[in-house]
This record gives sequence, C-alpha cells and structure tokens, in this order.
Amino acid sequence: MDNLLLILQKTLIYAIPLLIVALGGCFAERSGIINLALEGEMIFGAFIGALCVRMFQGADGYLLAHPQLMFLVALLISGISGAIFSLLLSFASVKLKADQTIAGTALNLLAPAIFVTICLAFFNQEKLVMLDIPKYAIKNSELPFILAIFFDKAYLSTFVCIALFVVLSIWLYKSKVGMHLRACGEHPQAANSVGINVFKMRYLGTTISGFLAGVGGYAFIAASAAGTAESSVGGMGFLALAIMIFGNWNPVGIALGALLFGFLKCVGPLSGQIDFFKNLGLPIYFYNIIPYLIVIIVLIISRKKSGCPKAEGQPYDKGQR
Amino acid sequence: MKKFLSLLVVFCAAFLLVACGNKTYEIAVVTDVGQLNDGGFNQGTYEGAVAYAKANNKTCKYYQPANGADATDNDRINAMRQAIENGAKVIVTPGFMQATALQTVAAENPDVKFIFIDGWQLGLANITAVSYKEEESGYLAGYAAVMEGYTKLGGTFGGGGSNAACNRFAYGYVQGIQAAAAKLGKNVEVRISFNYGDAFSASTELQTQISGWYNKGTEVVFSCGGSMLQSVKAAAEETENGKIIGVDVDQSGESERVITSAVKGLAASVQKILGELYEGKWDELLADKCSNLGAADDATGLPTATWRLKNFTVEQYNALFADLKAGKLSISNELPADNMKDVLVWTAISLLTTNTTILFE
Repeated sequence: MDNLLLILQKTLIYAIPLLIVALGGCFAERSGIINLALEGEMIFGAFIGALCVRMFQGADGYLLAHPQLMFLVALLISGISGAIFSLLLSFASVKLKADQTIAGTALNLLAPAIFVTICLAFFNQEKLVMLDIPKYAIKNSELPFILAIFFDKAYLSTFVCIALFVVLSIWLYKSKVGMHLRACGEHPQAANSVGINVFKMRYLGTTISGFLAGVGGYAFIAASAAGTAESSVGGMGFLALAIMIFGNWNPVGIALGALLFGFLKCVGPLSGQIDFFKNLGLPIYFYNIIPYLIVIIVLIISRKKSGCPKAEGQPYDKGQR
Repeated sequence: MKKFLSLLVVFCAAFLLVACGNKTYEIAVVTDVGQLNDGGFNQGTYEGAVAYAKANNKTCKYYQPANGADATDNDRINAMRQAIENGAKVIVTPGFMQATALQTVAAENPDVKFIFIDGWQLGLANITAVSYKEEESGYLAGYAAVMEGYTKLGGTFGGGGSNAACNRFAYGYVQGIQAAAAKLGKNVEVRISFNYGDAFSASTELQTQISGWYNKGTEVVFSCGGSMLQSVKAAAEETENGKIIGVDVDQSGESERVITSAVKGLAASVQKILGELYEGKWDELLADKCSNLGAADDATGLPTATWRLKNFTVEQYNALFADLKAGKLSISNELPADNMKDVLVWTAISLLTTNTTILFE
C-alpha cells in the first residue's frame, strides 16, 4: 500500500506539468496555431520564475517569510513570461503569416540559448539553482489513502494547475469566447463571416498557451527538479504535445494522457524498489523508453479518428473561401 | 538606423579590444562536466588555486569548456588552448575526463605545466597527476553513520559505474558500514545505485528514486557527485528526518540535512602542488608522477569543524582517524571491477560482508 501511495503521489507530480502544458497546446491548436514551442516556453517561463525566486530568496522581504505566497507569485511570473515569449510565435505566425512549425522550432532553439547565455554570465554555470528548494504546501501523513494522494506531500502547483485546468477547459467549451476561439481553428473564414476577429482569437489562444506552458515549466522545476532551472525541461514540452494529440485535442483525453505518462515516467526510477518490477529484472533503460514507445504506438493507432482542428497550421487569409 | 548600427560596431570593437588586452593569468583552472559552481569537486579545486594565487600574488582564472555538461574533448582542448593564449603557465584540470585533452595540449606546449586532479600518469614530463584514496573517506563516512545509530543507509554514486573515484567512494563506504555494523553487532541495510548521475548532475529521476528510498525507511543517503546533492536534498526535505552525507568538500553549508561529508583535500593538495611547482621542485617531485594522497597526507577524512553527529563524537572520530593514519584499519582499495554498475559485483561484495545487507538497484 505504501508503494502504491508513493507511485500515485509521484505520478501526480510528474503529471501536473504535462497536464497544464498539454492544455496550453490545446488552446493554441484549437485557435488554429500549431504551438511547437511549448518546450521553449516552458524553459523560458521556468527560467524567469526561478530567477525571480532567487532574487526574492536573496532579499529580506515579505515574500521570504511567506514561501507559499512566493510560490504562487513565481507561478504567475513564469506564466506571464511564457505568455510574453509566446508573442514571438503569434507575431510570426499570425501577423507575418510565417510557417508555424519553423517559428515554433526557432523559439525552442532560442529559449535554451537565452538561458545558457544569461546563466553563464551571472552564475558561471549552465543552470540556475534556487537558494531554497520550494516546499510542500500541505503535509499530512494521517490522511486515508485516497485523500493522501492529493493532500499529503502536495505542492501548491498541484492545486493551482488542477484549478486552472478545470476552469479553462470549461471556459473553452462553454463560453462564447471559447467557442469563437475554437471556430477559428476549424474554419476561420466562416468564423470571420459572422464577425469574429480571427487574428485576435489566434493571438488569444497562443498567449493563453504560452501562459500555461510557463506555469507548467515552473511547476516542473519546483516540484520535480529540486528547484533547478536548466536549459531543457527534459523533453516535457514535447511529451505534452504528444499527450495533446494522444488526448485527441480535448481536455478529458489530455487529463487521462497526462496521468498515464506521469505514471510511466516515475516507474523507471522506482523500479528498483518495487518487488513486482524488480522481479521482472528489466534494465532501467527499458523503463525510460516506454513513454516514448507508447507515443509512437498510440499515434499509429489513433491517426484515423483524429480530432485535430481542421485549420490548424494554415495562416489565415481573408481572401480564401 | 545606420547610425545605430555603426555605433554598435564601434561598441563591439571596443569590447573586443578590451577583451584582448594584455592582462594575463598565470594559473588557470579548466573545469570538467560538473562546472565551476558545483558546490563540490570543481569548486574545491578552483578555491585551492585561488587561495594559492592570493597568498602568493599570482593571477588566477577559470575556464569552462563549451557545452557545459555535454562538453567534449574538443571543447576541453579549446579551453586549455585559450588559457595558454591568456598566458597560463600552469593549468589545473580537475576530472578524469580531461585525459585526452591533456595529452593533446600538453604535448603541444611542453613549457606549460599541467596538474591532473583525479588523474594518473600520462607519460608526459609536464603533467603531474593527483589521485586520492577515496575509499578512506567513504569508509569513515559509512563507519560514522552506522556508529551514530543509523541502520538503513543508501548511497547514490555518479559517473555511471565507470568513474574510479566514485567507485572507490562506494567501495569504501560499504566497507566502513560493514566494519561498524560488525563492531556494534547490528544488522544494517544499505541501498546502492549508480543509475542516475552519469554527469554528476541533479535530475528528476534521481530525486524520485531517492524519495522512494526515504519513503521505504532509508535514514541517510550518501550523495556522491557534485550537483547530485540538489536532488538528494530535495528528496530529503520531503521527509521529516531524511539525512545526507556529502562528498568531495564540506557540504554542510548546502543543507541542514547534511550530517557529514566524505571529503578529499582538493584545495589543500592543489595549493601544496602549486607551492612545490613554484619552489622549483617540479622535475624532482612532480614531473610525470602521480601523487596518491590519503589520510597520511590529511587529504581524506571527515570535516570536524562542522561536526553534526551526536552519538559518534569528534574524539571517537579522531581516534579512528589516527588508526587509519597508522595503517591499523584494513581498507581494501582493490576495486572488484572496473565498472561497478553491475549487480554481480555487488552480489560478490555482499557475500563477503557480514551484518550488512546490500540492495543494489
């Protein structure tokens, strides 16, 4: 039972950044922009967040005495910087009608480069370590099993991300703006004909996407990378993209996908301690491969009934019908 | 716009001119994949060089090979060449990975001296190597932890099983644990892993693994590899009382959880060797030699200034250390295999040990 609880808690910790970043990807693609830059936005968001936290921790201020508030502020800062960074993508692909895949790739290359340059200049190292590791918001070892998964050893980011996920998912499907946004990903000309500003909607989708990626980036480094920002987030951004496709561009699918991949990611490191896996005697590399192998298999199987937005990746041209 | 561009060009040119100024640095430190501020190996070496330079009015500068944790031999060669261009007369290179780069650059520059930390003889008269008896520090750390009363220990080692220094730490650690367990007549369990930390860096996987250990009752984990401490620390801080043993330098400042550190006297030995070099004793003492430093040279041990153990006192430690110096402790330094990331090696070791259960992951 202890084993199971440990696995489930760790699954949640890995799943949270995937969940929120995949939803971010969903927002961009639903508005018609392929956001390949999720990884770069995560790196950038996490970097700025970690930089600010390091400054807060170094200065004797109000936030130093309230680490959970600092966590929340850092999440917000990361989100905003992710959103600002994503403006590069929306500017290139909405305004300039550039190829979205290439613009996204450019951002993915740019983010680690900015990170490394600044870190080497100021910290003599290609990583940024916070002075103090972010702490749990709640510790409660007395709780019964199901509650313990969520409310024992949980980070603030877990609750913030779940709340964001639920609210934004409902908003995307039930609100007027959300529907307008989705229409722009399916048939922008039709959307425009009923008076929806496609450019605005696409900017909105990509910016929300960048915000969520930034939040996810900070959630990742705070909860599972020991408060260390690096020039990569271990491919979590790309994995989130895969989860979005796996989840067929809809939030319920994304949630399931994130949990599945979170689970697969934590099986490897824990495999040596759980008798069931230990008895299988498989090398650790095998567990490291599984998540990516499953992505490939799922994509092969699910390619027929794809829920992919029809107009994604195409620059909007008013003249087309 | 044109004006702005021309201004920019002028600015860049001025910057380059400044950068190419006549300032030279006599002592250079070229770091390895762990990078300068790793709070351990590289930092300790650099601090030694800086301390010597300050005391003797020399100039000192560090060089970090390009590509950080993925630096290649070419990156290291370029960094060394750049150091020489900047006037380096002696280059300190921490890390066994520097061998290839050293052979290339040292052969090109017979007048420049090289100090190869964690190294071995490379057959060139302008290189001197320094190696440490890490098994002694590991032994002392393991022994102290068990004497303190811990019965469930762990150790995560960097270098992926092929780094001799880390392997010696691991081997000594287990021997120390076993010696103390036998002395107390207790049964002790120790988890050993070489899975994460090939480049001595922190990772989410390492953190997950170690928090699993603490969750299963492991009380203290030996974090053997510079920045790996970050992950172990994060895992420890998830628990109420998870403790850590640091490595290479006194890492007690990194976290309250660090009970002791298996140190090697990096800074001291760098200073000693630089001293011998500047006294003109290179040919006599150092050229193409390998100094193997241990307790007898005060180059291994546990830091007593920041002692945090309660049941095992500094006095007891000093007595143990004196025994070690006098050669009264039998610590094997013959590694059972070149690559220790092998369950068979650890099965073999556990067959020879009493009172100790080794769980290898």
